[in-house]
Amino acid sequence: MKLDSVVPNLSASELASPNSDLSKQLELKLTDTPEIFPKFTPELVEFSVSSNPDLSEKNKGLSQKQWAIFASTFVTIFFAEIGDKTQIAILLMTAESHNPWIVFAGAGSALIATSLLGVLLGRWLSSRIDPRTLERAAGGILLAISALLLWEVLS
Amino acid sequence: MDWQLLGISFITVFLSELGDKSQLATIALGSSCNSPRAVFFGTASALLLASLIGVLIGQGTAEVLPPSLVKAIAAIGFAVMGLRLLWPKSDELEASE
Repeated sequence: MKLDSVVPNLSASELASPNSDLSKQLELKLTDTPEIFPKFTPELVEFSVSSNPDLSEKNKGLSQKQWAIFASTFVTIFFAEIGDKTQIAILLMTAESHNPWIVFAGAGSALIATSLLGVLLGRWLSSRIDPRTLERAAGGILLAISALLLWEVLS
Repeated sequence: MDWQLLGISFITVFLSELGDKSQLATIALGSSCNSPRAVFFGTASALLLASLIGVLIGQGTAEVLPPSLVKAIAAIGFAVMGLRLLWPKSDELEASE
């Protein structure tokens, strides 16, 4: 930056229009120091959108990672639920009622409601608690559930 | 449309599922994963499939056995489940001591 060229010559005409020199000085400053301003390249924007898979894949449906989560959740919950007291209750209610599909409608909507509650509670917890603590707690809970299932199988 | 049966089955399944280990797993998975939507769809479809299997087996049982016997088995089954849930877990306490 050339400071000696910046010194203004305060003649009468220049005082009348004080901004003209200033804008030239500013222009000099702006053109001389372009490195100060961050470069908003398209790659940065791309990164911020793709870090949230839900957001970037909304129009394309579920991404591959989401399918993996869906499949693993499906298998886990399905095998945890077979032989569970809920399923036995549904079985017994269907056997003694004359309307199996009404039982299925009631049970299905109750199951959807409880799974929605569970996921919403999980989301609320993830907004309140540190992610690392949550991951550890989730891992601990899942291990405890698997131990409980094994104990039920063996006993 | 038997509203009473619908209500009873809804309440029964809702209450039995509320603190169930599958709901704990849903909460754990829903909080730690990046995509709660995938967790919800996985959980809901797994539970619906399990309940569908329960309904189909129940229908088969109702066709094979006489209805009064099925009702008696259902009553005994519910009583056993209720007692197991209400009974204090004394054997676990003894094992820990």
